[in-house]
Amino acid sequence: MLKKYFSFTVLALFILLSFSCDEVAPVLNPGGDGPTDDVPVEDQMRQVLIEEFTGVRCVNCPAGSEAIEVLLNTYGQQLVAVSIHAGFFAFPYPESDSELESPIGSSLLSLLEEPLGYPTAVVNRKHFDGEEGRQVGQSTWPGYIAQELEGDPAVKIDIIPTYNETTRELAVDVDLYVEENVTADDIRLTLFITESNIEDPQLTPAGVDTFYVHKHALRDAITAFDGNTLSEIFTAGSVVSRSYTTTLPTLWNANECHIVAFVHQGGSTLDVIQAHQVDVVE
Amino acid sequence: MKCYAYIIVILGSLWVSSTLSAQEQGGRLSGSLETNANFFVRDSLIGAANTPQYDRQLFGSEGWLNLNYSNWGFDIGLRYDFFNNSNLLNPTGSYTDQGIGMWYVRKRIKKLGFEAGYIYDQVGSGIIFRSFEQRPLLIDNALYGLKVDYQLSDNWNIKGFTGRQKQQFDTYSSVIRGLNIEGYVQGDSLGTWSLAPGFGVVARTLDDASMNSLVATLNTYPTEDLFIPNYNSYAFTLYNTLSAGIFSWYVEGAYKTEDAMNDPFGEIQRGDNITIGDKFISEAGTVLYSSLSIAPPKWGITLEAKRTENFSFRTRPQSQLNRGLINFLPPMARINTYRLTARYNAATQDLAELAYQVDVSYAPNRKVSFNANYSHIDDLDGVKLYREVFTEVQYKHKKLWKLTSGVQVQNYNQERYEFKPQAPIVETVIPYFDFVYKLDRSHNVRFEGQYMLTGDDEKAGAKQDYGDWVFGLIEVSLGRNWTLTASDMFNIDPGKNSPVDDSGEKQSLHYPRFDVYYTTGPTRLALSYVKQVEGVVCTGGICRLEPAFSGVKFSANTSF
Repeated sequence: MLKKYFSFTVLALFILLSFSCDEVAPVLNPGGDGPTDDVPVEDQMRQVLIEEFTGVRCVNCPAGSEAIEVLLNTYGQQLVAVSIHAGFFAFPYPESDSELESPIGSSLLSLLEEPLGYPTAVVNRKHFDGEEGRQVGQSTWPGYIAQELEGDPAVKIDIIPTYNETTRELAVDVDLYVEENVTADDIRLTLFITESNIEDPQLTPAGVDTFYVHKHALRDAITAFDGNTLSEIFTAGSVVSRSYTTTLPTLWNANECHIVAFVHQGGSTLDVIQAHQVDVVE
Repeated sequence: MKCYAYIIVILGSLWVSSTLSAQEQGGRLSGSLETNANFFVRDSLIGAANTPQYDRQLFGSEGWLNLNYSNWGFDIGLRYDFFNNSNLLNPTGSYTDQGIGMWYVRKRIKKLGFEAGYIYDQVGSGIIFRSFEQRPLLIDNALYGLKVDYQLSDNWNIKGFTGRQKQQFDTYSSVIRGLNIEGYVQGDSLGTWSLAPGFGVVARTLDDASMNSLVATLNTYPTEDLFIPNYNSYAFTLYNTLSAGIFSWYVEGAYKTEDAMNDPFGEIQRGDNITIGDKFISEAGTVLYSSLSIAPPKWGITLEAKRTENFSFRTRPQSQLNRGLINFLPPMARINTYRLTARYNAATQDLAELAYQVDVSYAPNRKVSFNANYSHIDDLDGVKLYREVFTEVQYKHKKLWKLTSGVQVQNYNQERYEFKPQAPIVETVIPYFDFVYKLDRSHNVRFEGQYMLTGDDEKAGAKQDYGDWVFGLIEVSLGRNWTLTASDMFNIDPGKNSPVDDSGEKQSLHYPRFDVYYTTGPTRLALSYVKQVEGVVCTGGICRLEPAFSGVKFSANTSF
């Protein structure tokens, strides 16, 4: 009989201990507005790169793209988004005519590792603790972006584009203002061209939407897909400059194109130090 | 890594010291080895392409070496795991790592027992807690921590455990703890009836990083979708098995306190725009599950029913698919084995499911037996998810030959199970047979045949999904050691999702497979050439979508 009492006492104790203390709830702070207007480079804050991997045959990707738009509304210029059409779901429909599947998409997939499922994204090319790889699911993007936005930028990026409408030649000058010493062995600069407001078919939960509007789709890289190595020593106060030229294919609408520049580590680390974006046609 | 080194040194010392006197002390070493090697041959026509293995790696492998040793009242063990460009963790990705995947130390001191290390265990049927391993899907949800149990009396046992869930060679950060009391009550002195009741509680405390991530996501939601998440969530279960003569009745009820979960079909409305996709919700959850078995002479009858509402219980709400599962919800459909009858599987739904299953078997004599099964699965809004009628007749003729035959009829909600929008309910009818003929004492030949008749997708103007299939297999067993198998799965009448050629015509493709098996004692080697269509692969009640496979597989299994 005593044994029975003992067991029930243990049980009751356990339950009581489990509920004995109310927890202190986390604080929510919905909304928020990052800078939407161009700010001078000296006022530039930490800016985070999110590279979303998507595909026209991925039914859940419109939800991912919508989540990125919400984050862009929240963080403004502090978030730089690139949507990369690559991988299993990027095979175009017969009626697709915008060549969304990026020519460097598969190289970026192998660089940044294949995801478990789509939609997926890489935030600042970091492998966060507790994640299987750099690719992370949609529900974790806001947390990692918030985490990466903390602190001041070690490098500030200024992009000066010059676009000739007649020849479609684009010249890009990039100045990197080093704010803190960066000690990484392999520092690289990558420049992408992205395009927004492309109307092309996309699978959605309601079926194939022929008039789906794709945003910040990666068109190509101006540099090597994994970045051009910067040989300078990144000491605080120094300025590193590079210039590039390219010609935009006629399929691209220059008025909807953006230049994305980001400084990052090479080798096995890949972490992005700072990202920035400007329009091709200002 | 230091931790692993210490473990190896400790376990190694134990072994070395024990081998000197293992015989005298009664020490026992046992183990097993399982390894797979895949050679990938790109075939973009069937979709075996665009993964690292097909594009550049060409080879992937994985293996597990398990060692267990018992002596001086201790049970100790460890498992070495390796993965080289393996696609087991992520079917479209590549995973490479190796190390000690599991170790444990167990000891019993009279009524007190304890186990430290990687613990595999469950509470009740697993509805609130189950740590388990399913290698075909690379699920390894061991609890890395400590378990203590105490024998309260001859028939009552209590156990408590705490730890963190294994994540490959690391652990998730959330802490899990639990308590379980189980007993046995004999109804009368004749033993005509008995009860096996139990109670369990499991709690999970969300780690700060997961909570911060959750809060950051919630901050992006419209006001009406916001909720204050809890760090701690608790799941309780009460269960009992009543055994009386030919009856055995198991019933379990579980409740989970309000907890943040991911709804993959969540709706977020911003202005006039509604987005369907991943959305966090916070709800309390329940599961009611019951199983009644009746076994009169020559008969076997099992009735099962389950109602699930908001019972996704994971180490963190950000985990999806088969990641971070703390519990296991029993599947409510038959586990089929034939190639075509197993093509469409009903994965367990953890947010909303109402299901029942009836299984009846009858064996009037040693020659003939019958089996019939019916599965009925809906969501809680009455949306049809899965129906299956399965029949089987088996006839044995003088140990010379055996024929198994039957029909399976399925309705499968592909839109829900595979996230394929606008996909109709796939309707299939599959007649099948399996014939084994004994040529002599050590030589058998076996034939399998199946035909899948698929319904029409009127909207697409084609057969549903991949359309009709025919499958044939011949297997020859040569003595005790060798088995040769050749099979082909042929898309005889292609459907909406079948591959198309350059002109846009649907193609009738063959998916052949050739196997050579060599078995000697506990060792089995297999070499296979495989072309396999994409599909949902399930083990237990857990499923995932697997892309097509093309290539050569080799596997070796042994135990000692």
